[in-house]
Amino acid sequence: MIQAFKKRVFRKFKKAATKTHELNYLFWECTTRCNLNCRHCGSDCTKDSTFKDMPLEDFLLALDTIENPAPNFTVVLTGGEPLLRHDIELCGREIRKRGMKWSMVSNGHFYDKEKHISLLNAGLGALTISLDGLENSHNWLRNSKTSFAKVENAIGLAVTSSRINFDIVSCINKRNLFELDLIFDFLVNLGVKAWRLFTIIPIGRAKENQELFLSDKELKALLDFISRKRKEKKIDIKFSCEGYVGEYESKVRDSYFFCRAGINIGSILIDGSIMACPNIDRSFSQGNIYKDSFYDVWQSKYQVFRDRSWTKIGKCASCKEYEDCQGNGLHYWHGEKKNPLVCHKEKIENAQG
Amino acid sequence: MKKNWVRKFMGGLSLTSVMFVFQACYGTPQDFGMDVFVEGQVKSVTTGLPIQGVKVSVPDQLQYEFTNEEGFFSFYTILDVSIALKIQDVDSTLNGLFIDKDIVVSNVNAEDRVYLNIELQEK
Repeated sequence: MIQAFKKRVFRKFKKAATKTHELNYLFWECTTRCNLNCRHCGSDCTKDSTFKDMPLEDFLLALDTIENPAPNFTVVLTGGEPLLRHDIELCGREIRKRGMKWSMVSNGHFYDKEKHISLLNAGLGALTISLDGLENSHNWLRNSKTSFAKVENAIGLAVTSSRINFDIVSCINKRNLFELDLIFDFLVNLGVKAWRLFTIIPIGRAKENQELFLSDKELKALLDFISRKRKEKKIDIKFSCEGYVGEYESKVRDSYFFCRAGINIGSILIDGSIMACPNIDRSFSQGNIYKDSFYDVWQSKYQVFRDRSWTKIGKCASCKEYEDCQGNGLHYWHGEKKNPLVCHKEKIENAQG
Repeated sequence: MKKNWVRKFMGGLSLTSVMFVFQACYGTPQDFGMDVFVEGQVKSVTTGLPIQGVKVSVPDQLQYEFTNEEGFFSFYTILDVSIALKIQDVDSTLNGLFIDKDIVVSNVNAEDRVYLNIELQEK
């Protein structure tokens, strides 16, 4: 009864938020260079990216088009690996000079003591580091023999700062699914306060490797694990907002599913493309900062993100829970866009027989 | 301690408020902006000249910066009722020998910019 009421309220909230489409979160794909060659990479990043890093001045020109940024507006530096940029602190300081906040997603390899301090000095306020299992499973996914040790060191540094709002993200696959309890204990012992778990999207080089994807029953096992661990309250554990999970919605997250891509989330990609989340099919591009005013585009375009009725096709057309899901995360719509690549709800129902 | 309080506070809010505390799938958590910008210049009391290489640190935090050749330093640090700073000459005779100093800045508010003129006595 209460859940039904909350859902109704949340639907109204979604409509209102979509209408106002306040920009809260801007990803900046500041580099596509990456020191790793992860098996699950959705962006196909490489050590020798064909793109040069976007010059800071180009990004700032786009950023300066934003009129009256929301109080909680944050620029999220992403990549590639942002720490490969030598001017990352300058980027952060320039963003802060404008009264905006900044944060970063990193694989942790270059996050040593000196970097931790220089990033704090530059006003870093939030940080996400990837950890994809215990040593063997993490190093396997990351294609690196030394990755786990470096990430462990980075986490050890990040937890020392009471300034940084910090969490760990993990991509769950067939190799690390059965060590979730051990990873949980490992993170708790390190002093980590928040842990977000993902599944892997079948795009980029990930789609070549079936070992990366959870079966229906494995997805259900993952959600059951999260639900169980949330009750322990040792750590703020949650399923990511990657997709709608039906009856698990209130059990695995703080809030109901809401794909805010293009509603509260924008991005500027390495080539200047104006987008929503960086992992969304690039055919959804809304413009380019080298031709268009970023904020004009934000205010006047993005219809495909703000009116999702076009997703009511294929398997979504007859779904009884469409109103709460609205086509799952938009990053699941690729190619001809006739169906989402993954329907979590369907997988859960399949697992339940 | 402060961060835990913020988490509890956010977690305890009503559904409506929680809706605004979101993070993008592949993004970071929200930054609650609990910091303050501190900058300043360190000079010699005797000569009035700027001192390079002085370590300006925040006690109990793994955070510091060294002054540049014009004696300037700047960083963001966690917001508190007061901010304590340690000013230390850590480079021995290089750039002169100075007596360390502790500073406390009171009545600091969120998003304040604190500017400090710091003078060090020579040893």
